[in-house]
Amino acid sequence: MTTVTLDRAFSRTTLPPSRPRARRRAAQARSLDSRVMTDTTPNEAQQTEADELAERRRLFQEQALPFMDQLYGAAMRMTRNPADASDLVQETFVKAFAAFAQFEQGTNLKAWLYRILTNTFINVYRKKQRDPYQGTIDEMEDWQLGGAESATSSSSRSAEAEAIDRMPASAVKDALQAIPEDFRLAVYFADVEGFAYQEIADIMKTPVGTVMSRLHRGRRLLRELLADYARERGMTAAVPATTTKGSSR
Amino acid sequence: MTDCGCTKAQEELEEFLHNELSAEQCQDIRDHLANCDDCSAEHLVGVTLTTKVKEACQEKAPDELRDMILGAIAR
Repeated sequence: MTTVTLDRAFSRTTLPPSRPRARRRAAQARSLDSRVMTDTTPNEAQQTEADELAERRRLFQEQALPFMDQLYGAAMRMTRNPADASDLVQETFVKAFAAFAQFEQGTNLKAWLYRILTNTFINVYRKKQRDPYQGTIDEMEDWQLGGAESATSSSSRSAEAEAIDRMPASAVKDALQAIPEDFRLAVYFADVEGFAYQEIADIMKTPVGTVMSRLHRGRRLLRELLADYARERGMTAAVPATTTKGSSR
Repeated sequence: MTDCGCTKAQEELEEFLHNELSAEQCQDIRDHLANCDDCSAEHLVGVTLTTKVKEACQEKAPDELRDMILGAIAR
């Protein structure tokens, strides 16, 4: 349902959806008929239309705008800079508002907004910054991506968890930016937004199996990058067992 | 460890983490984790990674953006 209406919204080159226009026409027709029989004037019909628009705007502000921070966070991970992220989010909300009459109340608004965001990003922004290997990344073998499973014993895994836990946010963001975009988005949708695999598949327009593969490879690359970071700074070595209790987080 | 569930557990740990398994499958994994240090350590890495990524990605949209959007949909 959502898919169809959304795709229709995207296929349009001009933003205002046809439905309000149709409704306007219907309202005009109604007002012509009713003028004969009652004292309804075109002004009143216009008033009704304006009321509907105002109500839709109120609903949109109430329901969709609260997702702004989250969408901006996703846009930052997509575009990698605040100016493009702002443009992308603004464009997303403008498109979403234009298509909001077709949004089915009671369905997942957050997923709907993320679909618009992701579509807009892919259609507009990805073209500008297309990675040369983008599109073939899913077919690449694990050895080409690097990063074999490293930690083997439970003690080294515990040390790894400890090191990741102490990692500054900037290092985590840098690592995220360094992994291939499709992997990054899958990780973002699952781990930050908590979308179900099927929802991610709908947002990224890809089979669930591909989502799982991107997620798995993305997380593994992330782990490798964070392990490198920790190693470079001697973080892995410096995890005395005595500090674990006191600094429980 | 004589536990033979490691292979299956490791295959499904990521789905377990993302809440993609059925209640029954979840219980199987939980039972295994309770008895396996290796897999619970691996799971801890997974949980920690998710938590850190989530924390690192929290952003606040600039105020100007809010104003621009409100302006754009008011037209």
